[in-house]
Parts: sequence; C-alpha cells; structure tokens
Amino acid sequence: MKLRLCHLYPELLNLYGDRGNVLILRRRAEWRGIAVEVTRLSLGDKLDPGVYDLYFLGGGPDQEQGVASSDLFQKGPWLKEAVEGGAALLAICGGYQLLGEYYRASNGETLPGVGLWAAYTEAGIKRLKGNIAIQVEELGLERPVIGFENHGGRTFLQGARPLGQVIYGDGNNGTDGTEGARYKSAIGTYLHGPLLSKNPHLADYLLELALRRRYGEVELAPLDDSLEIAVNEGVFRRFLPTKGKW
Amino acid sequence: MLRSFCALIVGRLVGLVARWLGRGATSLPGYVALKIDPLLMGHLAAGYEKIILVTGTNGKTTTTNLLASILRAAGIRVVHNSEGANMPAGVATALLGQQGEVAVLEVDEGTLGLVTSQVPAGTVIVTNLLRDQLDRYHELEQLAAAINRALAALPAATLILNADDSLVTSLGQGREGVRYFGLARTPWSQATTSEVLEGHICPRCHRPLQFNFYHYSHLGDYFCPRCAYQRPRPDYEVVDVELNTGGARFNVLYPGGQVAFKTPMPGIYNVYNILAAASAALDLKVNPATIAGVVAAFLPGQGRAETFRLQDKQVTLMLVKNPTGLSVALQTLVAGREQASYLLAINDLAADGRDVSWLWDADLSPLLQAPYQRIICAGLRAGDMAICLKYQGVRMAALEVIPGQEESLDSLLTAPGDDCLILCTYTNLALYRRLLKERGATSEVTPLPSLS
Ligand SMILES: [Zn+2]
Repeated sequence: MKLRLCHLYPELLNLYGDRGNVLILRRRAEWRGIAVEVTRLSLGDKLDPGVYDLYFLGGGPDQEQGVASSDLFQKGPWLKEAVEGGAALLAICGGYQLLGEYYRASNGETLPGVGLWAAYTEAGIKRLKGNIAIQVEELGLERPVIGFENHGGRTFLQGARPLGQVIYGDGNNGTDGTEGARYKSAIGTYLHGPLLSKNPHLADYLLELALRRRYGEVELAPLDDSLEIAVNEGVFRRFLPTKGKW
Repeated sequence: MLRSFCALIVGRLVGLVARWLGRGATSLPGYVALKIDPLLMGHLAAGYEKIILVTGTNGKTTTTNLLASILRAAGIRVVHNSEGANMPAGVATALLGQQGEVAVLEVDEGTLGLVTSQVPAGTVIVTNLLRDQLDRYHELEQLAAAINRALAALPAATLILNADDSLVTSLGQGREGVRYFGLARTPWSQATTSEVLEGHICPRCHRPLQFNFYHYSHLGDYFCPRCAYQRPRPDYEVVDVELNTGGARFNVLYPGGQVAFKTPMPGIYNVYNILAAASAALDLKVNPATIAGVVAAFLPGQGRAETFRLQDKQVTLMLVKNPTGLSVALQTLVAGREQASYLLAINDLAADGRDVSWLWDADLSPLLQAPYQRIICAGLRAGDMAICLKYQGVRMAALEVIPGQEESLDSLLTAPGDDCLILCTYTNLALYRRLLKERGATSEVTPLPSLS
C-alpha cells in the first residue's frame, strides 16, 4: 500500500509547528508498512488533482499567507476537483480560512477564498487564544480532540458541517460552539500546530479517509499509543474548567 | 520640572530602600517614579552625553552587558540596566542612576516606541528578530513595523543592524547612518535549513527570498530574485570562526583593519552578540585591543549556560525559550560530546509561553544523532516533548517521562556516566538551580560582578 501526501506551501505556511503533522502522518503510516511519498508544492507549481491521496495546508504569518493565498486561488479548482474525487485534506488555521468562501478584513475589504466549504471568515479584534478541546462525532464520544488555538479571524459556517463541538475554548468564532469545517474527506480546523501529536485517533481517521480513495475501507493495525493517550487525557483534564459549559 | 524632581527624588529613595532591603534595584524605583512623572525618561536622558539602545528578540542582555563592560574598560562612565530589566520601568530605573556619561539600555522590542518617543538615543543596535514568544508578538513582520515606527522618532540616530536578518535590514531602508554587522560563510553554514523559517519574505517586494546559505534560523546570505534586494555588505564582518566546547575564536574585519577575538562563550549566537557589541564600540572609536581584551574575559550571567559540579558529575543547565534557542543549544552543547544524559524540562506558564507547539519547530537532530544514554522529559509539558522525540525517531528505551522536577532530577543524577545536561524553559530554570544547590552542587561559572 502506498500513500501520496501533498504538503502545500511548506515554506510559507509553517507557523506553530504545523509541519509536525506531516511527520506524524508519515510515521503512523510507515509503522504499519504503508509506504509514504511526500510531495511539496508551492508557488507556481501545477497541482494534478488525480495524484494525491491526502493534502496538508498549514497557517502562516500575514505576509506569507497573502503570498500563498493568491497562488492558492489559482490552484483552487484543482484542489476542489481532488476533494470531489475522494482525496482527504487537512487545513489548519490560515489554510482553513483560505479554503472558505471569503475573508473580510477589518477595513471591509473582501478577499475571495477557494470555496471548498460553505463558510466565511471576518477579522476580529481580540485574538482567540488558548487550550481547546472539541468533541468530534466520527471519532466516538470517549476521547476528545485537544489542541491550542490562536486566531484573530472569526469563521461562520454557512451550511458547512463543523468538525466538532467545543467542549472548552473558542472554536470557530467564540460564540456558536462549533469548531472547524468538513466537506467530504476534507477537514479544516483552528487547532493549530502539531494537532495530530496528541490526537492519534484523528490522525488515523485521516489516514483511513486518505486510503479509502484507492484501497476502499482499510482497517489500520493498532499501534502503541499509550504515550499520546496519556498526554491527551492529562492535558484535557488540566484545562477542563471546573464550572461552566460541559 | 517640580513633578520630575519629585519623581526623581522618590525614585532614588525607593532605589535606596530596595538596595537596603537587599533585593537589588531592578524596576521598582523606575516604576514608582514613572507613576509620578510619565515623562521622566526624557528629563533623565538629558543628563547623558550619549545614549545607546539595544533591542531585538534574542541576545539583548549579553550584548548590553558586554558593550557596557567594553566602554567601562575604555574609561567611560557607563550606566546600564544589567539585570535585563528592559521594560520602561527598568529603563527609567537605570537612568535614575544618573552617574554616567553614556547610558547603554536594553529595551524590550515590543515597547521600544515608549522609550524612543522620550529618549533621544544616538545609537540603536538591533540584534535580530527571531521567533520568540509568539503568544505575545504573534507575527514578526508586525514587530518589525512597530520597531520601524519607533525608530522614526530618531531620524538622526546611527542604526547598527544585523545584515544577516532580512527583517532587521528592512529597518535600514531609506535611512542615513546605518552600519551593518554580519557573519561570512562558516563551515557550519548550510545551503538549506531544517528549521522552520520566518523573515524570508522580501521587505521591498514581498516575494520569497532565496538564500546562498543559512547560519541558523533565517539568518544568512539572502537575495530577492525579483527586485534585487539583498543582504547588505557588512561594515563589521566576522570571518574564520572556530567553535569548540570551550568557546570560540574568530576575526572581525572593520573599516581600516581587523582584530582577532577569543571568547569563553560557546555557540554561534554568542559570536553574534559579541559582534553586535564590538560593532557599536568600534563605531565609537574604542581601541580594538581594548574590545578584544574585554571579550576574552567576559562570561555570561547566571542562567544562560551554567555548569555545576555534583560529586563525580558535571551538570550543565541552560535556558531554552524558543525553537531557535533549543536548536542552537543542542547544536552547541551536543557537538563533540561523548555519552551523556539529557533532561528536557518544558513548562507552559505565562513566562514560558502558553503554547508549546514551538517544540516541533526546533531542530532536534543533533541530540537524536548523539550518543545519548538517557533522555528524560519533565515539566508540565513533559509528554508533549516526549511525543515530539518519539516521532522524530528517539530510541524509545532511552526515553523517560517524569513530569515532577525533583523526581526527574533524581533520575538524571542516577543515570550512568558523569555528563548531565538540563535544558529547560524559563519557569523551570530557578527551580532546577535550587534543586541542584540543595543536593550540594557547586556552580563552576563565575557570575558576572555586579555592575550597578
Ligand atoms: Zn524583492
């Protein structure tokens, strides 16, 4: 079995340890005997929608994100075609915003997005920042997905399915309790940085989505995740508010 | 004037009381005095012949302390904020000393504008703009823009800028009186970098920069293929660097000559700190031999890299606060080392930075390729560190996760071999030092003499 992973704009969209996710996906596949080929595509590179099983897109500082966004807008139709064809995708923070319908800056200027999911983002004043935990239905109810968020934009879903419901933290906009967006096998989220490091269940779910395109339903062999699970549980409990929403 | 006179008297009184209480005058006198007179810094600054500001994300404290020592050795009376108290209250506290001809002031890069709006500095040194505490300054370009606005208040000041940092050189655009310092290619310079980069966008046309080589992080020899923006030719340039575990040797080329340096401080980042201080001193026409003499004897203050002896063990304690710091610390400490055991203590309290995602941006390869006996992960985020090592291929049998600081240190001290290294984030540092002292460790680094 072989997984073809496409890392988009690795040199531009690389804030907060995002690249760790690519390493984690690669290792978790290789430990199960699945070969992994990582292709890095950036400005001006052609994207062949039929080739890759899994796309990864991180977040970046304003200027880098601006440079990437105009190029991503060009690649947008190919990326949509890939997802329609069953490819999986993980987009974090800035990457998540760029794949929405548009971004409205604080001066009212509107920048068009790729439109992969029905959602838009508005600039906010205060950054939404801190530890976050969400419940992702597809991953069962016993283990949350945990991470750290740090974003100025507020994303509002316009019919897109959220990735999950906020247990604590802010999520898409700090008001409606949703976090992230889904479209087919594509996932967007504000849980930034090495999100998959503390969420091996989410990493494996993404691998299964990615392999499905070429190999149908695949059951991944179990791995020793005792370290990851201990950290997931420890961090989840440590930041769980003693009062409030649960 | 009466207001600032009151502020001055009260500030000095608080300083006396604080010293009398044995706490050292850090920022309290300035804090109190600024409450009485918010414009006090400007009034105090008028009493100095020259004011030099040192800012940037990394290396400010070492650069400031070293430059102050060099100027003192040149016979100049110098006031400086030696404790790294670099917020406005700390700057005001240093100026309250009022016993010098020259003030060398370390200024926090985020609050530079508050200082430059009042203090008519003649020279500003910018060390670098590396990724640091993104919780606080979430983007470096915004930080560079803020520094640029702060510098606009000082149109006649001489800027001494790091040529190897494109974000720093962007501050020199359109200004007169800019001097650059930089490092020529070294044997460790690399064609590519395994670290995550920032500051690799052309400051003029905003397209990605290309690099002939990298020193570390985004420092190196860059150029823009589109608009020809490029690393300026350094006025002060380090050549022929030799690094070893006991420090470094190198030459500095300056307009009209060259001077050889030898330092007991390890690591390429200290070469930058020395170069920044030496460039400012050379620009002020200090005798090169005087500068080299101070550098040869200068040791870092507590907490940067401290060595302890505990029975038959040598324990090195080092602060790491961001991915570049961790990458460089590993590169420096691990190079040439035989069997050793390591303790990585990571906390996520406010002073450490709440977000530990940065661990994944560090280059851990020097450690993973070294002959390590044991790697212990400790602190509130011990598990995050351990997962990061796991996916980067650590030998799992050598990995231990012991969150408790005390327990982790005991485990480190029972590891085989006599060479132990502790790398820790800010809030772990004083704790491990205390635990070591409690177990009878003696510090082998002479702390800096008090310079106040
Ligand atoms: Zn350019």
